[in-house]
Parts: sequence; structure tokens; C-alpha cells
Amino acid sequence: MRDVIVIGAGGGGPVVAKELAAKGLDVLLLEAGPRHAKPREEWSTFEEDANNPLTGYFRLGPTDRSKPAWYREWPQNSFVWQLSGVGGTTQHFYGNYPRAYPGVFKGYEGADRNEYDVEHRFPFSYSEMVPYFEWVEALMPVQTAAMGHKEQLFFKGAETMGLPVQTTKTTHKASYRPQENAILQPGGTAGKTTSSDLLVYPKATGCTFCGYCFQGCMRPKGAPRNQYAKRSTDNSYVPMALTAEVWSRGGKPAELIADAYVTRVHTENRHGVLTASGVTWRDNVTGEEHREDARVVVMSGGCTENPRLWFNSGLPNPNGWVGRGYTDHFFDWMIGSFDDYTGNPKGVGSSARLDYPPYGGLENVGLPPALNAFAGTLSDSGIRGQYKNGRGKTGPWDGPAGRVMGPELKELVAGGIDKLMTVLVITDDDVEAQNRVTPSALPADENGPIPKVTFNHRKRTKRTLRNREFMARKAAELLRGAGARKVYRIDWAPLILHVQSSMRMGSSERNSVLDATGETRAVKRLFVADNSALSNGLGGPNPTLTSQALATRTAENIFQTYFGGDPWVRSEAPVISTDPRISVRLGELGL
Amino acid sequence: MAEPRNLSRRAFLARIGVLGAALGGGGLLARGLLNPASGATNPLLPPAVDLVRPVLAALARDTLNGLTTFALPGPDQYSRTQRATSRTPGALEAGATDFMISALDNFVPFPDALAQPISAALVTGLADSGVSLPGLEVLPAELRSLDQAFTALLQSDEAIPLSFPIAGLLNLMATQVNPAAVNGLHLSPFARLTYAEKARAFELIEKTDSDLVALLDVHFPEPLKASVSGLLKFVGGALIEFATFGAYSEYGVLDRETKTLRKRPVGWTLTGYQPDGPVEGWDDFIGYYQGRQEVRD
Repeated sequence: MRDVIVIGAGGGGPVVAKELAAKGLDVLLLEAGPRHAKPREEWSTFEEDANNPLTGYFRLGPTDRSKPAWYREWPQNSFVWQLSGVGGTTQHFYGNYPRAYPGVFKGYEGADRNEYDVEHRFPFSYSEMVPYFEWVEALMPVQTAAMGHKEQLFFKGAETMGLPVQTTKTTHKASYRPQENAILQPGGTAGKTTSSDLLVYPKATGCTFCGYCFQGCMRPKGAPRNQYAKRSTDNSYVPMALTAEVWSRGGKPAELIADAYVTRVHTENRHGVLTASGVTWRDNVTGEEHREDARVVVMSGGCTENPRLWFNSGLPNPNGWVGRGYTDHFFDWMIGSFDDYTGNPKGVGSSARLDYPPYGGLENVGLPPALNAFAGTLSDSGIRGQYKNGRGKTGPWDGPAGRVMGPELKELVAGGIDKLMTVLVITDDDVEAQNRVTPSALPADENGPIPKVTFNHRKRTKRTLRNREFMARKAAELLRGAGARKVYRIDWAPLILHVQSSMRMGSSERNSVLDATGETRAVKRLFVADNSALSNGLGGPNPTLTSQALATRTAENIFQTYFGGDPWVRSEAPVISTDPRISVRLGELGL
Repeated sequence: MAEPRNLSRRAFLARIGVLGAALGGGGLLARGLLNPASGATNPLLPPAVDLVRPVLAALARDTLNGLTTFALPGPDQYSRTQRATSRTPGALEAGATDFMISALDNFVPFPDALAQPISAALVTGLADSGVSLPGLEVLPAELRSLDQAFTALLQSDEAIPLSFPIAGLLNLMATQVNPAAVNGLHLSPFARLTYAEKARAFELIEKTDSDLVALLDVHFPEPLKASVSGLLKFVGGALIEFATFGAYSEYGVLDRETKTLRKRPVGWTLTGYQPDGPVEGWDDFIGYYQGRQEVRD
């Protein structure tokens, strides 16, 4: 009998595991995918090796790459970028840690209070969340992003838009700024040389501007795992969870098992109350099933897998909201073509942003050639110059929206990929019951019936559609301001990378799965701690910080409610995840 | 088999490219190999099955050559046929067709339970699409044997390489766009299209109310029927995106064992990406915007 079993070692699960391991609880952390314990041996810098969604080391599938990936049903032109493996999608993320906009929380009184997704706010206030934001920001640590040439160019464009620079953690109004990100600032030789001999820890510390965020961060070379520049959970929370005894008095290291696919959450009826009692997982390698009991079970498998596990476990869904209300920031993609060098794709993938509550935001994104090509050809508007698929919007960009492909793409990149600047259009999108995960009617995989992810993207709410158009126009304005010779709008089909709210926390029993503590309404001792627990799409900010802050709050609630402990976030200061005690212990463990 | 049915079967096999690839001018099978009698001697596994398998593989490769050069044209014959060429290396030099075949046949975790009936639907359904094809009367008479070989293959336990139904889909749409594509240079109707016609074929696949999508569902019970419709919409987009990803990726020159490149990838040359190969870092750090290294509330 464990104290706590956490299902999923992605962006959220390791937060709960680390926090409760620090308090001395017996924590088992189960990850469906690979461990990736030796990045320097297992990873590379190649897009085909890393990012091929079918065969890459960053895919949704078991460790053994000769076996097929796990198939998921998407009944529309879309791409749901799920990752298995310790670190989850933080393995390929860009480490952006903006706070959610205050307007998405209960009790917000700003002048624009009626302009947000007012039906689906967080069930507590922004000020209640701030200590948890601060805790995660200190722990990662979250810092102001260093600037490279592509950021300089982004700011040049933003400076023409009549907006102020944001110099606070909280976003109060439309503004632009360097990202606050979980990337260690460059130190020593980092960012100043291309010489491999000099880019070795500790001559180089923090971000070396290698440009391989999306292929996984294992730099500077020679650094302990917990001092790699990008603070993905495999470099931050997981090392802390596994070494809790050396940095927390009374801490007990969590146990991590990878390639362990949880297929069932078990429950029992205790005095008329349905209560979680344990889990069954399947070993990807041997196919053997294991069952273990726990006092508390935490689901952290992500927005698509949590609902699947819920359905496959036969858990009750009285209001029908399990899997519903999936938000994705309904992204779009704009490409600017420049005469001069842009710095793309060097440095952190995205170190500049523009926030525009209550519409959404923009950020620059640097991509290497194949991902750049993929991003330019994922569209709901056909192929530019050929067909429009019923859309092909025109506006302050050049020609109709649509795929830039074939001869046009070849010509676009012929000037050099470092003459492009690409901007991600982030929409403040509404929680909608129709966008959801359901059990698929397609054949099951080895872990049971598979999930189906449905997005009715052409029929989203008026506010969502308006916000997307508004931000796309702002992106064009920014690119023109930066000096783009040509601006292309792709009109992305849903590229589901920022995922939120499919097991949402809410104040109303009618449209939420979780109560305000993070516990499921239908099953006691069962919690959800990852992006799926978020109440909404946050207004557009990248979700990881808010998700981890909420998971920290949920860990406190678990500790108080079921283990008789005291809360700690308001009374203690966090140990920083780069702490040398963690490095030393990792070395002893061969990690 | 009644004659009108036979004729429409013939039309259908011509449409998905199989008839032409197997038997047409330049076809892969000498006509004599498909002896009409052979099908009757072993109804469970006609000898023609063994002959049909490589035909399907060749047809799939040819069709996917037509797709990858659509994604990234080069100096090759497929690009010339589509009338969109380029002097610099393209998809074929990048190995993008191998990328697609490897992905589709080995790594797309697509259940056989679905691939099988979709392939069957492509071969046995959809006979009457209402577009008249030129030259049907001169198509060979061995149709029935070929058909039996297909049916046996599809009904056997053998996994159907996913590249086959994908090629079938593209070829079917190709003949919808240009019926004359049943004959000509290359094995596959899709590869015979111009660039604009290929785009038109994708337009038909992507169209959400596509008649084809509805037709293909005929042989599936609910709720699978709706799933297959959605799946095809997804496939339309994915084929373009993955072909393009593959063409610009390191696939063709990556040694997976040693994690090294045998030579510089086409995609890197075309885009000027990291001229000296992979790095540990770049000297691109300028400083902090407005000199600010830290913010707080």
C-alpha cells in the first residue's frame, strides 16, 4: 500500500510527486513511456530522430522504437502532439512560463471583466494563486529570457504597435516583453561562441543558444541533469522527486517506473462513498499486469489520456463533463519573409511574446527545416494558389491564407531559413462542451479502448473565432513592423499543443469534473493534477506554469486532507531545482 | 459476373491504378501470367496473389513518388510530369518516398481491422462513380483473375501494407479529376497528374462533404462508419504534412545506429540550415531587452 500513486510523469505529475516526497510520503510515479535516463546516448539533434511522430524518440509510444506508436483517433484534419516519456511534452517545449491572465479567475473586477470566458472561470481568485505561481517560479527557476537576433526582430515589430513593455510577472493589459521562461540564463561562454570545446560545463552554464529545444535539452554538455538549461520536468521536478531525502528534511525519494501504462483506476465503496483504492498498470516490455493499492491516486496523464483512463476504468460521469471542454488556444501560424538575417532558428525556440488580454497573444517560434515545412503545410485553407477548402481568408497578409507548399515553400526557404521569422498566433479560446475526448469505436490497442479527440474548429464560439482573427491581424502588423517583405498566413488546422481543461476544475457541479481542491467530484481520494485540471484556456498564456502552480496547490490539499499535514507554500521557501545536493545524489544514482 | 458489373469492376480497378500497373501498357505482369484458369484451381489462394503483391508495392511507390514530388519538386521525371520542376534536389533525392512507405507500412499504428476493410472497400466498392473513362473497351480480359487474386489477398490474414489503400485513394481521386490519367507515363494515375490536378485531388479528399468519403463508408457498420469518414479527412491533411516533413528531414541520410549523417541532408542544403553541421551552441546572445534581467510584481 502506497501513500500516493501518480499516473504520468509529464508536466504535472512530477510536481505532486516531488512535493509529497518532500513531505516524507511514499510516492510511486508511473510513466507510460520511456525513461530517457541517458539523453546524451539516447537523443540527438536531428528532427527525424527526435520529432518524427511515428518513430522519433519524442513520440507517443513505448520505449522500443521498433514497435508502432500508439494510435489515437482524430476525426478531423488536425494533429494532437502527445508525447510519452518522463517529462511528457515538457521534453520538447520551449520553457515559456507566463502566468495566466487575472481575468480568468473568480472575482476578477477589471474593466474588461465581461470579455473573458466568464462561464468557466477558476473557482478561486488570482491572488490566491499568486503564492503558488511564486513557488514554482522560484523553484524552476523562471527568469527573464536572454535575447537573440530573432527576439530583437520581434521587439522591433512590437515597438511599432503602440503597446507598452510589460515589466511585471502579472499581465495587466496588452503589452510585449521577453518571455519569462524556465531556461537558465546563459553564463560563461554560453551564447558567446560556437566552439564545442568551450561549450562544456562549467565553462558554459545555462542556455548555449543551440536551438534544439524541440529535440530535448541536454546542454551545456557535461552538466548534471538538474543543471541543463531547459527546466523540463525530466531536468527539474523528476530529479527532485528521486532525491527528496537529500534536500528535504524527512523527505523520502519517490519511486519512478517507466514503460508502465496504467490501464485501470480501482475503486471501492467505503460507507456509501466511491473511493479510489489503487491502479493496474501494464509493462510495455513484458505485457505483464501489476496492481498496487494507494491511499490517494493522482491522474496526470494529460488532457487526452486522463479521460480515456476514466472511461476505461468504468468510473461514473454523472454530468457528462469528463473529457469535455478541451481547449487548445486554436493556434494559427504566420510566416514573415525578410531580406536580412533573422537569427531563426538559433537560441531558445521562443523568447519573445506579446500579450493581448482578452484576445490571446503572440510569440516568436524558431523551427528547423522539417518542422518549419510541417508547420507551413498544416492548414484548413487548402493550398495557396490552388484551392481554399471553403476558407482562404484575406487580410493584412499577402494573398489568401493556406498552405505554403511545393514550389512556393521551396522558393520561400531558398533565401535561407534564417531569413524567416515565424509567429504563433495564440487564441483565448472558450471552453466548449463539443470539443472533447470520447472512447473511440476504432479497435483498441494493447492498453484498452483508445481515445478519440474531436474539435469542431469551424464551429467554435463567436468570441473564440473573433479572438483568432484579431490576433492574426496583430501578428501581421508585428511582422510588417519588423520589416517583413512578405507575410503568409497558414490558417492552421487544429495543432493541439497547448492542451487544457478536459477534466476541468470548476465551481459548478454542472460543468466540472473537479472541485476547487483538485479532487474529482465523483470519486473520493482521486485527484487530477496536470493541464487537464485547468478550468479554462488561461486567456492564452502557455499553460505549464499555471498547471504546475495548480498541481502544487493540489499537493497541499492532498497532504492536508488525507495525511493530516500542514500547508507549506505560504510559510516556506522552495529549494531550487538546480541545487547541488540534487546533482550530487543524481551522480550517485548514475543519473 | 454479369457484363455491366464486370465493366464497372474493370473501371474501378483502372481508377485505383491496379489494372494499369498490372496489365496495362508497361504493366508489371505479363498478361500470360494471369491465366484465367488458375483462379479456379485454388479458390483460397490463387497463384496470382504472389504476382499481385509486388504489383501493389510498385504501384504504391509510384503513387507516393507523385505525392512527395508534389510536396517538394526536384529535377526528376515525376516533377516534369506534374509540370512543376526545380533544378535543385527535391523529394526523391531526399528519400521522401521511402520515408512515406516506411512510415505507412511499418509504423503507422493503424489497426489491420480497419486497413483490411478500407482496402477491400477500395477494391470491391465504388464501382459506379459516374465518370466515364476513355479506353475501357481495350482494357484486358484477364480482369477476373486479377480481381480474384485481390479478393483472396484481402481476405487472407496477411496484413495489408497501408501504402496500398493510401495509393488507391490518391489514384481514385486522380481519375476523378482527370479520367485520362488511367493511361500514360508512370504506373499510377496520381503520378500522371499536373501539379494543379494533384491539388484538385486533395481538394476532393479534404472536402468535408466529400461523396467519396460517404461512399467509402458503405461497408462499415456504425459507429465505425463515422470514424472512417473522419479518418479520411485526417488522412488528406496528414499526407501533405508528412510528405513535406519527410522531404525536408534527415531521413534519407541518417544512420540510426550511430546517430550520424552519411551526408548533408537535402533539406539542410535547401534552407542553409547549420552550414557546419550540428553544434553545441551559437554565438547569438545579444543581451537583455532594455537591459532588464529580472521582473517582479
